[in-house]
Amino acid sequence: MPRFLLTRISSGLVVLLLVCLFTYLVFFALSPDPAVQICGKNCTPELIDQIRANLGLDQPFWTQFFLFVVGIFAGRTYGDGASTVDCAAPCLGYSFQSSQAVWDMIVQRLPVSATVAVGAAVLWLLAGLVGGLLSAVKEGTFLDRFTTGLTLTSMSIPNYVLALVLQYVLVVQLQWLPFPQAVAFADDPVQWFLNFVMPWIVLAVGYAAAYTRLTRANVLDVLRENYVRTAYAKGLPQSLIWRRHALRPALTPVVTIFGMDFAGLLGGALITETVFGINGVGKMAADSIARNDQPVIMGVTLLAGFLVVVGNIVVDVVYTAIDPRVRVNA
Amino acid sequence: MMPSQTDLTAARTTGSAVESGTGDTAEAPAADQAAGALRAGAGGTWQALRHDVGAMLGLGYIVLVTLVAIFAPVLTSISGWTPYEFDQTAIDPNLGGMPIGPWGGMGAEHWLGVEPGSGRDIFARIVYGARVSMSIALSATALTTVLGVSLGLVAGYFGGRVDLVISRIMDFLMAFPALIFMIAVLSALPASNRSGLLVVVISVFGWPYLARIVRGQTMSLAQREFVEAARAAGASGTRIVFREILPNLRSTIIVMSTLAVPGYIGTEAGLSFLGVGVVPPAPSWGQMIAASVKWYAVDPAYFVVPGVCLFLLVLSFTVLGDRLRAVVDAQEGR
Amino acid sequence: MKLHRISTAVIAVATTLALAACGGGGQNSSSGGGGFTAEPAEGGTVHVLQNADFSYLDPARGWDGGVNNFFRLVYRQLTTSAPGSAEDPNEIVPDLAESLGEASDDGLTWTYTLKDGLKFDNGDPITSAEVKFGISRAWDPGIGIGSPYLKQVIDAPKGYEGPYKSGDLPTIETPDEKTIVFHLKEPFPEFDAVLAQVNATPFPVDSGAGDEFIHEIIASGPYKLAEYVPGSTIKLTRNENWDPATDEVRAAKPDGWEFTIGLDPATIDERLISGQGADVNAIAGNIQPATLPRLQTPQLQERVLEFPGICTTYMGLNTTKKHMDDVRVRQAISYAIDRTTIVNASGGTQLGDPSTTILPPSVAGHKDFDLYPSEDGTGDVEAAKKLLDEAGLSDGFTMTLDIRAQESMQAQAEAVQQALERVGITVELNLIDTATYYETIGTPSQQHDAAITGWCPDWASSAATFIPPLFDGRNIYEKGNANLAQINDPAINERIDEIKAMTDIEAANEQWGDLDEQILEQAPIVPLMVAKGVMLPGENVTGLYSSANAATGGIDYVGVGLKDPEKG
Repeated sequence: MPRFLLTRISSGLVVLLLVCLFTYLVFFALSPDPAVQICGKNCTPELIDQIRANLGLDQPFWTQFFLFVVGIFAGRTYGDGASTVDCAAPCLGYSFQSSQAVWDMIVQRLPVSATVAVGAAVLWLLAGLVGGLLSAVKEGTFLDRFTTGLTLTSMSIPNYVLALVLQYVLVVQLQWLPFPQAVAFADDPVQWFLNFVMPWIVLAVGYAAAYTRLTRANVLDVLRENYVRTAYAKGLPQSLIWRRHALRPALTPVVTIFGMDFAGLLGGALITETVFGINGVGKMAADSIARNDQPVIMGVTLLAGFLVVVGNIVVDVVYTAIDPRVRVNA
Repeated sequence: MMPSQTDLTAARTTGSAVESGTGDTAEAPAADQAAGALRAGAGGTWQALRHDVGAMLGLGYIVLVTLVAIFAPVLTSISGWTPYEFDQTAIDPNLGGMPIGPWGGMGAEHWLGVEPGSGRDIFARIVYGARVSMSIALSATALTTVLGVSLGLVAGYFGGRVDLVISRIMDFLMAFPALIFMIAVLSALPASNRSGLLVVVISVFGWPYLARIVRGQTMSLAQREFVEAARAAGASGTRIVFREILPNLRSTIIVMSTLAVPGYIGTEAGLSFLGVGVVPPAPSWGQMIAASVKWYAVDPAYFVVPGVCLFLLVLSFTVLGDRLRAVVDAQEGR
Repeated sequence: MKLHRISTAVIAVATTLALAACGGGGQNSSSGGGGFTAEPAEGGTVHVLQNADFSYLDPARGWDGGVNNFFRLVYRQLTTSAPGSAEDPNEIVPDLAESLGEASDDGLTWTYTLKDGLKFDNGDPITSAEVKFGISRAWDPGIGIGSPYLKQVIDAPKGYEGPYKSGDLPTIETPDEKTIVFHLKEPFPEFDAVLAQVNATPFPVDSGAGDEFIHEIIASGPYKLAEYVPGSTIKLTRNENWDPATDEVRAAKPDGWEFTIGLDPATIDERLISGQGADVNAIAGNIQPATLPRLQTPQLQERVLEFPGICTTYMGLNTTKKHMDDVRVRQAISYAIDRTTIVNASGGTQLGDPSTTILPPSVAGHKDFDLYPSEDGTGDVEAAKKLLDEAGLSDGFTMTLDIRAQESMQAQAEAVQQALERVGITVELNLIDTATYYETIGTPSQQHDAAITGWCPDWASSAATFIPPLFDGRNIYEKGNANLAQINDPAINERIDEIKAMTDIEAANEQWGDLDEQILEQAPIVPLMVAKGVMLPGENVTGLYSSANAATGGIDYVGVGLKDPEKG
């Protein structure tokens, strides 16, 4: 177990480093000179050189990349002489647009993204598991076919279209919900909750459909397994068979996939946040891309990659814990 | 079935590039099981599908959109408006350029209404937008399939170091925050040929999902008697892979590709929605929806028309792929 | 002339006009429903809803329409623009100084005397040393990235790099605590306007090095920074050390200001329409075109506030490119353009007026003319075709138009494309992302045949910040070039020099108007439109006047207050 964990962590780190390198490379190769951008209109060649030196942009690629990676773990100092700036670890650099530390920007917005992600996750887990189980139990009935149709529909509706439909129907026409705007939970819990209802639904619908299908398929598979049939044949009560033999193996894959999907979401639900104007990490990423704010994009990309890698490892550990069959070496 | 660690990781990685919830994520393992139809005759599949109302409706819509895309110039010459023509009489300059008349200006002149601000004909833009959506999604599917199948075959058959390298690349690509990266790359590159770029970028992040399954099946096929026989007969590795193994993967590839199309349509529309899709004034459905966001309260028809077209197209491919898989599964005797 | 820090400014100031940051002139004409000119009461907090964060809180760095207006609440300079409510809001008036500057006979030395009782928010007195120190920060290569005028006009020693690197700036003298003397490179009759630029703000000696003023500031105006969460909120409270007796410009009636940043434009409009809670005390920038149809109720109509525009949106034609170097082709394009579609694509007649001149009507010196007239402004296709025939281009040609990847500018470009197609010119759009757009078109080596952009004056009391930067042939730079047409006509250059040297500003303005026409005869640019301001302030807000200089034609914050401080 510890050895397996060690392997996973080290390979995760390699993936992260590659993500980092790949992103850095692309920006290094593609991006217009950031020094020119920062410098703005009343720019002189000297000023550009100065900015370049301050940001370390005059260094060769590998040096820059090395400094960036070191900065994440140990922090770094920009500039020299009178105008130095200390960037504490984890240092992801400073936004070209707002001069804010990228790490602070992410930390500031992460709670909002987490709120969106957690709410949606609860919603889709509940809907997916209940829908999938019901569908499996009632296999072949009208309910089952209805659920299948519904899941296909939900999987097919692009979430920005759904967002617009919901806003038009619930906010403009029926006026059941207020127009979403940021309110602190402490100020007005009801308003806060109502604000997030639509983003939660929009983000959850696709996943809920996918989880319904997955749960249904898994449960049906397990029910056909020999050991479950044997249990039935032995005359064990149905509830016991379900609890002991069917449910756990059927739900294991759901748990594992959930870990990954959730980790992916924390990196920012770009479209959902953008379409509802929620100031989370995803919207920040989308905005930064429009402004070519390279350090912020790097930061968010790394965060997203990090969460996926960590999610991966956590899932592997959980998976080995709940499913003894995979307790094998990598 | 005891999945290897690599497979596990891959299966769980977020599949859908755009969080549109097309459900690639959960589909992957299911597709894994579905795959591997060895003796599915094409004729039998068609016979089974023909009696499936959902599949036929989906196919019908796909054919319709394809025809519309092909005959776009003919259709717009009948409707009388090109997708780029401004119509100042259809909008109210004093109200921010809002279309005149109910339902976004729908009527005999403009069948599906007009775009606020410019008065451009929405029917014409939908028809031309279908070209963009279909061509990008289908090209991306083709490229993904070629990449995924060939790399999956190579990794699965030759194993060893080749497999290790390819598998690592797949792990890496699947752990990559693809959407953010796609947008970043697309926004950084010059906008001259966005369509081609979209296809490449979507494919680069899309092929591992197919390759992973092809690889797994190739590994098991490689142990079969007929492959052993071919090998004993002195056939080369390449020959075995393409002549013996590939034909047996046909059903899997068809099912997987069909299931991939809606994801790519969604991704293209999503990227256009986020402003890094095809270059204006070329119309695209995603771009039309993005432009309609501001107007949803006063001109709902503006988002409903492209929204419904897009939704139906994605739904059609999803249903068709789903039914196709069910049929293949059944033929396989599961 | 500020095209600097675009991304922030644009979204903050004018949502329709994709211009950069500007700071220009405008008449004082708040129209619409009554209630916005009533005298505000003392107290309360004014809320400002905005999308973009301010570029910088340091006035030596920040310089755009969005932040200049904010600076006016916390910083003061020797001179400043008159309040929006003044008879001539474009006028430059004394602020920290007792009176406008006294120029020597040769126009090279300007002397100012400070008022009594001036203090920073920390209680320290503001003397000539602090004024000088603050101004000298403009030369720091890392910090002085804001307004360029101080550096252009004041005669600093060669190689001077600001107080932190080079120390004292000898060409600004401070004979005593109250007196400050500037030495200029060459006579500049409008030097008072230069000192009204935001980077002429005083700071305590030796403060503000490096990034010190990124998150914290030292205020000299009526408010000080109470809280700053970048990208989210800024709260201002009263600066108790500001003495209203020393300030004739700032009414400063509210007790505080609260800026909410990072709101979606649609969210802002939605909040203003519903006007609930504290939003009755809220103001914001321009509304979205899609919001206009929703303002048709009498209650909302009463709250609509309209300001004239001060910035010209235009298409620059790069005269160094093939075909574009032919004046007939440029004139043909000027004839072919359809300004109706351009205005409609930019939000319709409420949000913009077609423009046929370089100088907008609200900038001093504007002269009304139309050299390339057409019926309803939809373009004269025949005249254009005739000119193209003469130029030997009857079959048309293909040109590339640089545009910013931003919705309203794309719409304008598509309108241009449609209009020129009528005369056989195929326009290809070259989409450039919003962050690098102005840098790209400001680099002649990367410029294509044409580009759509905009220009606002830095002070609207004359055309001195409008015509010379755009059309002086000696101002074509390798980077940061504003003369997009790259026109270098000795006749125009000469006229510019002559008018600039005139000390009678009024007479000069008349000549600028004539020069406007003279330039457009060569059609180096095609003026497209002037975007107007349409706002929807909360019902409890009053004292709303436009200021060209301080707010780029938006609401001048210094007069804003609440009708009833208890509300909201």
